[in-house]
Amino acid sequence: MGDMATLVAALNATWFGAGLPPETQTRLAALARQEETPAGTVLLTEGEVTEEFGILLSGRIALRTLVPERGMVTILTIEPGDIWGWSAIVPPFRSTSTVVAIEPVVSLVFEGASLRIALREDCKLASLLYPRMLQAVSRRLAASRLQLLDLFARDATATL
Amino acid sequence: MLSSELARPDRTTTHGRWFLDRTRLDALIVALRADGRTVIGPTVSDGAIVYEEIRSAAELPAGVGDEQTPGRYRMTSRDDDRVFGYVVGPTSWKRWVFPPMIELNSGKRVGHRVEFTPARSTPERLAFIGVRGCELAALGVQDKVLDAGQFRDADYRARRRSVFIVAVQCTTAASTCFCTSMGTGPEVERGFDIALTELDGGFLLEVGSPDGAALVDGPLATSLRPASPVDVYTAAADVAATRARIGDPLPTAGLHDRLLAQLDHPRWAQVAERCITCGNCTLACPTCFCTSVTQKTDLEGHTATSERFWDSCFSPGFARVAGGSFRSRPRDRYRQWLTHKFGTWWDQFGTSGCVGCGRCITWCPVGIDVREELVAIAPPVSLTPEPQRVEPVAASFDDFVVAQVVATRQETIDTVTLTLSGADPAFSKGNLGQFAMVGLPGFPPLPISISRFTVDGIELTIRGAGPATKAMCALKIGDQLGLRGPLGNNWPLDRAVGRDLVIVAGGIGLAPLRPVIHALAADRRRYGDVRLYYGARTPADILYSEELARWHSRAGIEVHQTVDRAGPEWEGRVGVVTQLFDTASWEGANAVAFVCGPERMMQATSNTLAGRGVTPSRIFVTLERHMECGIGLCGHCQMGKYFVCRDGPVFSLAQLGDTFSREGI
Repeated sequence: MGDMATLVAALNATWFGAGLPPETQTRLAALARQEETPAGTVLLTEGEVTEEFGILLSGRIALRTLVPERGMVTILTIEPGDIWGWSAIVPPFRSTSTVVAIEPVVSLVFEGASLRIALREDCKLASLLYPRMLQAVSRRLAASRLQLLDLFARDATATL
Repeated sequence: MLSSELARPDRTTTHGRWFLDRTRLDALIVALRADGRTVIGPTVSDGAIVYEEIRSAAELPAGVGDEQTPGRYRMTSRDDDRVFGYVVGPTSWKRWVFPPMIELNSGKRVGHRVEFTPARSTPERLAFIGVRGCELAALGVQDKVLDAGQFRDADYRARRRSVFIVAVQCTTAASTCFCTSMGTGPEVERGFDIALTELDGGFLLEVGSPDGAALVDGPLATSLRPASPVDVYTAAADVAATRARIGDPLPTAGLHDRLLAQLDHPRWAQVAERCITCGNCTLACPTCFCTSVTQKTDLEGHTATSERFWDSCFSPGFARVAGGSFRSRPRDRYRQWLTHKFGTWWDQFGTSGCVGCGRCITWCPVGIDVREELVAIAPPVSLTPEPQRVEPVAASFDDFVVAQVVATRQETIDTVTLTLSGADPAFSKGNLGQFAMVGLPGFPPLPISISRFTVDGIELTIRGAGPATKAMCALKIGDQLGLRGPLGNNWPLDRAVGRDLVIVAGGIGLAPLRPVIHALAADRRRYGDVRLYYGARTPADILYSEELARWHSRAGIEVHQTVDRAGPEWEGRVGVVTQLFDTASWEGANAVAFVCGPERMMQATSNTLAGRGVTPSRIFVTLERHMECGIGLCGHCQMGKYFVCRDGPVFSLAQLGDTFSREGI
């Protein structure tokens, strides 16, 4: 679980939490718990309601999606400092991929419902958190576009 | 003839090369001791490998290695049981031929008279086992200093002349080694009686003198068998690999003059702020010879013994006279040491005082590295050698030279690396990043980047994306193809000397960057942090996977990989290559970047790099355009004001300006 000071310190060490004013960090830390997850654990399932939002502190997480002919395909890996489960605070609050710990993982985990309530009630918190959330998702969107272009594809337009 | 004589091959006429089995190494020590010698060899003592008397091979440091960096020495555990798998420790052979303390004479005053009686010692006969190339050179330097001038050290001569030397060729190196720069190793060439090169299970043994021959013919005869060609080749290859690993850390051309011209350089004062003049460097150095003489008297002061002991020019009072000291400041004493060792020693003795053993670097408690100080105080005139301009061959519309495929390697499902030989020597001398026009009859000639330069040829990594490249990928060993080149300009690695290097490769874009990484690994010390970011389509499309692992574990290059997508068994990173460094913690202001991949990927990478603070004039990309001649005459490859084949294919972002990735250029 971790005591308040440890949680604030862990939060402050991530790009998501660093730079937040101390009272906001405390507010967030009150909603968080530090959790260790063994390798192989499915944290979120594609299409299901996202119960938790997490900031990865150590280990590696894979985002996977099911392609019927191909099976589970990994479309992105998350490294320490990055976030998972952003859909917990974005309607319709359903996970857009299956989130799996592929190494033993330590995360700062926020319960989805409590975080949504806190954001609705506390405008200051919302004004600080949503831009960070948007930034994280935008980075992922830009990456997805490049992946979509399949720049390394064989036989693309080559005549050579 | 006796059957025993028939059985033994004649060893007296050809000394050739022998193989001494590991289990028979003791025979060598026993033979030397039987000859009345005290055998000195490496052994573990007090947390280091030192040279002390040993009585059997069991006392050698089997399975022990070492790790040395400025100011740090650690023994390590090897995963074999080699007995010479380390380099030099804190002690040198100097302490045995030039002891730290010897008695010089005794003197007596009796009334008016004085009497001096020299203390002539009879030194033991010694044998040294494990003398490295740098150490042999150091003994040679001491011979010049102490036994070749107008006045000689009789004690040194007596001890030195009796030594039997078993040298060892180094098959490992520490990061502090720079024998290659000083011309003293790692190969041992002369000055030894026997030389050993450690192999698996034993040693290649070579004879270097009549004394060595006598041992090989006599007591060692039954322990040796003739060396096989594999023994000889493996030994040579291991030593050559050691040389390659060390590189050339200290350019020494003209160092004497350059250094002595810098007696007023501000760096002397700067290094003196770190130097505590403890003298460790001079104590560990195998060529330092400064001594002082002290007197011990009896209580009445009539009889005195005079002793000579190792001193150091770093001692505060070393240059003291009645009126004061000539070198009172630490910066003066540091300057004295460095300018003597690398400069005036030449004037005095016709040789450098330094043999590149690296001890002064390892054993300096504050980690001062003389190589770094010398480059700072007396930088080489051309620190960044200009790449040689190589004249391309067959540089006309109609001509190709022929090369032969000597090896093929399937890198991925559609990519093959061809090793070519027999082409014009110009190809092996090509510069990093150059390409060749490759021709097969019936197919259009294509520009292919050279992915490796070898002694007698080149490697081409080709992706079979169309009919011509597929035909090239289908070539077998013995098949020939046509080449024109090497063409184009090169990655400006000289711009990266002393800076951090960021290399970003996408897909087959790693092929034109591979020669850069080889060049970096061979000369690693010249560059700062080196990071390679490599993105491939899927795990099955990763090129050169074994080399990547080797670069990461052994060449001091941080390798980060990602793929665009993967199946569930892949536990590495998935995502685009820019994600590998867009939130990294390094500063870009000091970095040079080389980028190669599809142009859209290079654009995204350049934007991210610029966002990390890398200056556009230091971001280099390599462009691919339609080429039919490779020599700037067919007009196809124009881009803005440039012909990519002739003015490129490597350009800096500053050169390209906004033509880079602009639509329709």
